[in-house]
Amino acid sequence: MANYNIKQYLLSYTPVILLFISVLNEFDFNYLGVKYFSFNFSYILIFYYSVKKSKGLGYGLIFVAGLFNDVVLGMPLGISSLIFLLICGFAAYLRNITLRPSLTKDWIFFLITISVVNSFLYSILTIIFLLKVDYFYYVTNTMFTFFIYFVFSQLFSLYENIITGKINA
Amino acid sequence: MESGSRDDFVIAIRSAFLKKENQQRFSLLGLIFFSIIFLILGSFNFKVIDYIKIGIKEIAYRSSLIVSVPENLIKNSLFKVDEHFNHYEDYQKIKYELNLLKSKDLSKTISNLENIKLKKLIDDYFITDNEIFAKVLIDKQSPFLRSVVLNKGSRNNIKLGMAVIDGIHLVGKIVEVNYLTSRVLLLSDINAKIPVSLEPGDIQAIMSGTGKDNGILQYTKEPASGKNNEDILVFTSGAGGLFKSGIPIGKIKKEKNLISKEKIVDFDIDFSQLKYVKILSFSKIDSSIEPVKEEIKAINKQIVEMRIAKETIKILLEEKNIFKDTRIKIEDENNLLKKKIINLQNRISIADKTIEKHDKKIKDIKFAELNRLYEKRCKKTFYNNLYKVGTKKYEDCILNKGSKKLDN
Repeated sequence: MANYNIKQYLLSYTPVILLFISVLNEFDFNYLGVKYFSFNFSYILIFYYSVKKSKGLGYGLIFVAGLFNDVVLGMPLGISSLIFLLICGFAAYLRNITLRPSLTKDWIFFLITISVVNSFLYSILTIIFLLKVDYFYYVTNTMFTFFIYFVFSQLFSLYENIITGKINA
Repeated sequence: MESGSRDDFVIAIRSAFLKKENQQRFSLLGLIFFSIIFLILGSFNFKVIDYIKIGIKEIAYRSSLIVSVPENLIKNSLFKVDEHFNHYEDYQKIKYELNLLKSKDLSKTISNLENIKLKKLIDDYFITDNEIFAKVLIDKQSPFLRSVVLNKGSRNNIKLGMAVIDGIHLVGKIVEVNYLTSRVLLLSDINAKIPVSLEPGDIQAIMSGTGKDNGILQYTKEPASGKNNEDILVFTSGAGGLFKSGIPIGKIKKEKNLISKEKIVDFDIDFSQLKYVKILSFSKIDSSIEPVKEEIKAINKQIVEMRIAKETIKILLEEKNIFKDTRIKIEDENNLLKKKIINLQNRISIADKTIEKHDKKIKDIKFAELNRLYEKRCKKTFYNNLYKVGTKKYEDCILNKGSKKLDN
């Protein structure tokens, strides 16, 4: 019973831990130092767990993680929270309209989601906050985030299978 | 139909943003509004937002430090491993550089010793044997005599002819010594005659004062030509033995050099601004004295020893390179021989297989021949009780040339 609880605990809190580590860690996939290559791990994590398991990541925690992200990156306070929550909204919409889940559909919808939220982010930063933002960076970041979503979704699902498989066993 | 799909869309949107799901404590729309409020208030520099920001910063930076501990640990470990692997390479490099530097240092020491030796030999090795600092008491700007009076005299061992220096520049020489004071004849005085040398070109000349604020070259052995695009520097030549050579005096500016035939020397220092000066006397080392000769011998010995050491280092370095080359060659040869051994082993194994096949073939032929001759003696028929064809016993029987021999 205790073993079951630990595994259940792991399954529920892994996305939250990953999200906070990705937000607070010095190592950032958004600034890998490789020319043209960067991706937003937080977007992938939030979208995946919001589509697959709504209970995996709480909205409140996502909101707090967004605030932390803003502070760490020096962006206007609240903007990352807004973007993260919008991704949650898109994911919730997808979950509501989906009868038969498929990775391809999720993947395409993820592209639409990150394109919209990144455009929104770019617009807010440039129009309202008058910040200079590299448009090319956002485009490449969006593309790589889209491509890498597939890999991470497989990894997350593998992790869940391992944990749940052991629980069932 | 169209309105139906629009309704579905609206329902899905409403459900996504407004419906609070079972496991969620907060409404998505509520949090989005909250974020927007944060953004708006933040853009107006609202104080509460600043305080929240400061609070979050405090938590975030500390948390970031803790979260990054494992990553930093891995990073540091990797760095240490990498450093460890590079250690030997660095050691070899440093060793090589040290040898080079030692060699260079020896060359420098040899040059210095040679310089001292040569100076001693040409009798031009001066040492400063007396150094006195003095204050300028009177500086009368007389048109007839350019001189200053100092507050040091014979009581302080001031003697006639001593050089007076300001910093590193020559000012003049002592021409009058009293008990407590002395007079310095400045270089600008018309009576001051100093043997000088001009650079570039190492041209010898006599410089005299003009009675004004500059000097003029007299008795130049060669015309002080110099290159048109550079100033000519004037130093003491050391001729006459009063001053040591190489004390800077002034320069002949290129513009004046081109215009006028007279070579006017502009002094490095303004004599009207003198406050403190240094009085020096130089003495020459007498090379005829026995100790100096012995000293030269010692220097010579040192030079020889250092040259030997330098040569030894050079030879060792070359030897090291040769050994390195030889080692590389031997390694290459070793690899080549290893490859050859592998090839030969392969060939031997192929030959063994061929021999084995050949033996088998011979055995088969022998068996076929014997079989033809002794088949009747071994083959089982309905009237005898011998061996079935193809069995081991039948083969043995044939090879033993018939069953009788086998039985025996």
